[in-house]
Amino acid sequence: MNENRRQILEMLAAGKITTDEAERLMAALEPEGWSGTVSGASGPGITEGKTRAKYLRVLVEADQSMTGLKGQTTVNVRVPMKLLRAGVRLASLIPAQAHDQLDEALSRHGVPLTLSQIKPENLEELIDHLEDLTVDVDGKEGNATKVRVFCE
Amino acid sequence: MTPNIAVVRIDSPHWRGLRLWLPLFLLWIPLILLSPLILLVTLAVWLTGHISPWRTMRVLWAIVGNLSGTDVRVCRYGSRVTVRIL
Repeated sequence: MNENRRQILEMLAAGKITTDEAERLMAALEPEGWSGTVSGASGPGITEGKTRAKYLRVLVEADQSMTGLKGQTTVNVRVPMKLLRAGVRLASLIPAQAHDQLDEALSRHGVPLTLSQIKPENLEELIDHLEDLTVDVDGKEGNATKVRVFCE
Repeated sequence: MTPNIAVVRIDSPHWRGLRLWLPLFLLWIPLILLSPLILLVTLAVWLTGHISPWRTMRVLWAIVGNLSGTDVRVCRYGSRVTVRIL
């Protein structure tokens, strides 16, 4: 465990600091550039070295016509790239004899993907090409949902 | 490093916000208690299936160990739900 985190947890356990203070201290240990708000997410690091991307960010802004809920809905997700890389390795656990069946089922549903060829290196290629992807989804009455995917 | 704490925060303009600190490290206790059963299942999978238990454990460990830093925030109409894994 990181020494700073350990100290914070120990102080919290000892009652020296409140949970609010502990959260603020934990947040201060987070890497800079993570503002946590959609407006502040201008993608720092996009222009920096792409191979150093630490997180995948997905921002979704949907209006009420798309969600069926009152008011605009904003979803802001940050996933560590290491977690994605580990997730890609899950494909290696699929037994070889199941690959053909899965590939066939995927292509039948319009996803022409060969599972046996998915490797962590493919994720790196994807990151390289994922500078800043924005997808606009048109709604029924002209309203739109904006999905933005980028690495930072 | 496995995640230690998950913070769930719910803020609403209509009522007092809620903040939960979930000690994920306590999950080690049931995991240790269930370890004999997990070992049996691992052996069964190894013998009957064609999946390497070591590779499976390595991948699962990598997933659990890299969960730290995951952050999900959903805002709507002044209300906000935040889930952070620290």
